[in-house]
Amino acid sequence: MAETEAKSADQASVEMIEKAAAEGVETVFDRALKMKPCPIGAEGSCCKNCGMGPCRVQAPRKEGAVRPTGVCGATAETISARNFARMVAGGAAAHGDHARGVAELFLATAKGEVSDFEIKDEQKLYQLAMDFGVEIGNRDLKDIAIDVGEIAMAEFGRQEGEILFAKRAPLKRQELWRETGTMPRGIDREVVEIMHRTHIGVDQDYKSILKAAARCSLSDGWGGSMISTELQDIMFGDPVPVAGQINLGVLKEDHVNIIVHGHEPLLPEMLVVAAQDPEMRKYAESKGAKGINLAGMCCSANEILMRHGIPVAGNFLQQELAIITGAVEAMTVDVQCEMQSLVNVARCYHTKLITTDPRAHIEGAMHIEFEEHEALNIAKRILREAIDNFPNRRAQVQIPSQSIDTVVGFSHETINYLLGGLYRASYRPLNDNIINGRIRGIAGVVGCNNARTLHDDAHLKMILELIGNDVIVLTTGCSAMAAGKYGLLTPEAAHKYAGEGLASVCEAVGIPPVLHMGSCVDNSRILMAATAVVKDGGLGDDISDLPAAGAAPEWMSEKAISIGQYFVASGVYTVFGVTWPTLGSDEVTRELFEGFDEIFKGRWDFEQDPVKAAGKMIEHIDKKRKALGIDKKRERVLYDMAKRRELEAA
Amino acid sequence: MKEKVEERVSFDGKKVKILGGIYEEGKPESPFQWRKKLRSREEMLAYLKTGERYWFSDEWYGSEKRKTPA
Ligand code: SF4
Ligand code: SF4
Repeated sequence: MAETEAKSADQASVEMIEKAAAEGVETVFDRALKMKPCPIGAEGSCCKNCGMGPCRVQAPRKEGAVRPTGVCGATAETISARNFARMVAGGAAAHGDHARGVAELFLATAKGEVSDFEIKDEQKLYQLAMDFGVEIGNRDLKDIAIDVGEIAMAEFGRQEGEILFAKRAPLKRQELWRETGTMPRGIDREVVEIMHRTHIGVDQDYKSILKAAARCSLSDGWGGSMISTELQDIMFGDPVPVAGQINLGVLKEDHVNIIVHGHEPLLPEMLVVAAQDPEMRKYAESKGAKGINLAGMCCSANEILMRHGIPVAGNFLQQELAIITGAVEAMTVDVQCEMQSLVNVARCYHTKLITTDPRAHIEGAMHIEFEEHEALNIAKRILREAIDNFPNRRAQVQIPSQSIDTVVGFSHETINYLLGGLYRASYRPLNDNIINGRIRGIAGVVGCNNARTLHDDAHLKMILELIGNDVIVLTTGCSAMAAGKYGLLTPEAAHKYAGEGLASVCEAVGIPPVLHMGSCVDNSRILMAATAVVKDGGLGDDISDLPAAGAAPEWMSEKAISIGQYFVASGVYTVFGVTWPTLGSDEVTRELFEGFDEIFKGRWDFEQDPVKAAGKMIEHIDKKRKALGIDKKRERVLYDMAKRRELEAA
Repeated sequence: MKEKVEERVSFDGKKVKILGGIYEEGKPESPFQWRKKLRSREEMLAYLKTGERYWFSDEWYGSEKRKTPA
């Protein structure tokens, strides 16, 4: 019992971990206990970039000691920087490839080659057309969309010049990227270049490798990720505030439960349509179910939650637990963050695990490929598989009672609208409240869950500490879901948990103190929000001038490293928790933690204790306030045990 | 809607009574579709140039007080 409690801060998860133990089903939490991380790899000191290795090259801690090298002579610095850069490239590639799929579908939709998708947000299309220099005039919507789609597609294979969305950044930031040679040229090109540079015998200067990694990450944040966000918004609608429910309690015992897990919203959007088809509902009833219940997991969940209010079953570490309820008829997975163990867990129950993307097969899973020309039919086929499976439930069904209300859908445009209204839409009220001190600063708290640390706990503690100290939090990914599960995504949370200044602003506008901005690729929305604050004036003329900070307290994915790196290269102080992948080399770590501050006026930091990490963010925010001349002496309020208990009781 | 009065500490340390948050009872049943308010192409473009003026307006440069792009 004590052991299970130590695995998650979320009661619903604890309940399912116990059920798994009782039924002899192994989960990620068990494997994390059994398999300790390799200490050499964990600190980035293992190179396996050629057949003479792997070489274990840990830098000596004592001064004057002989510095070991790999067989080829590579130093600990080179190896550490290489590994770090490859993580960035892996993450950027994941986001970029996701974006390419979206761009392809967008173009096919614009050309009328697929019938199940449409342009839902005309205004956002015009916004992109303006950014891309596409003529609007009286032209047909379809022609404008085709031009936009073709330009977006070309960004992936662009060989020279500058990626187009870089122009959205503050002018000063653009200049800095040009001066430092870190302005990205093309989305694919930067990833390929990192793979080349880090090949044996190429770039062997850690500073140069790290700078190239910054350029690569920028091609993610201001390139691949931003393209995904924008084109998804045009096709599925820009997110607007919508109420939803979150946690495993959203599953329904008497319904056919289908979980959509992964990152791409294309199939989930179609499943939403198909699940509303009366014919499908009737079919479910014919099998003895009361209806069809669609729920999300990971970022596919964030996407359909934000656009349709479809409930979210949970975040990364809850994927196995959802199946363990015994109530899930089918789980579809597309790309990213799906654990291979799902097959084994699904086998213990009746759940059908269905892979849907040609790039992500799982041995032992059923594969029904998503094909855009047949989108709705495929969605219906998946639903039928799930419905047919309803009578096959065998294990005892146990659905945790926990589920809670959330309000989500705070796109950058919606924040702009909510703060200023339709006629005076603007970030001005936010800037004014930062200047007058009611809001101390802005924090982006994002990223994953990690089985090496207490599930959700660090997200929660960090966010509470920040909002308690009047720092407004923008959140995405699994972090957003953690916040949702604890009731932080409702307007009422402002009164309950935020400091007086922040609470008064949230109450006036009617927004939560923690704003859900979407999925992992939607971190690009945070870049846009930060830029809008800069452009509105009064808080400096670059992102690095803002009283703002970023964090991923429970990160695990390479995508998180890419996101962190583009936050830093965009001028944000960014702190990560759990583990840090360059600890094997003091020089590399110093360059990221200090050297980058000189180059990018933004830097990395690492702190395992989430409250201390929040403290560092607040300290940074106060430093920036001072530099802007808007500092007022104020104490940090520590979130004490009484407040914690109050939260736990909630 | 009933007003809620709360006691807070003002900037000079005095206790003051202020109006607290007021929420409508119940939960919204549908998304708040504010974007639907803009109907025609002209309205959308005008909004982009004013509401989203940071990027598109010819007159507005916010903190970046220069007309020649970097
Ligand atoms: S590239 Fe050098 S350090 Fe890396 S595995 Fe090969 S020999 Fe070892
Ligand atoms: S935040 Fe991390 S774990 Fe969660 S969906 Fe994104 S990449 Fe996966």
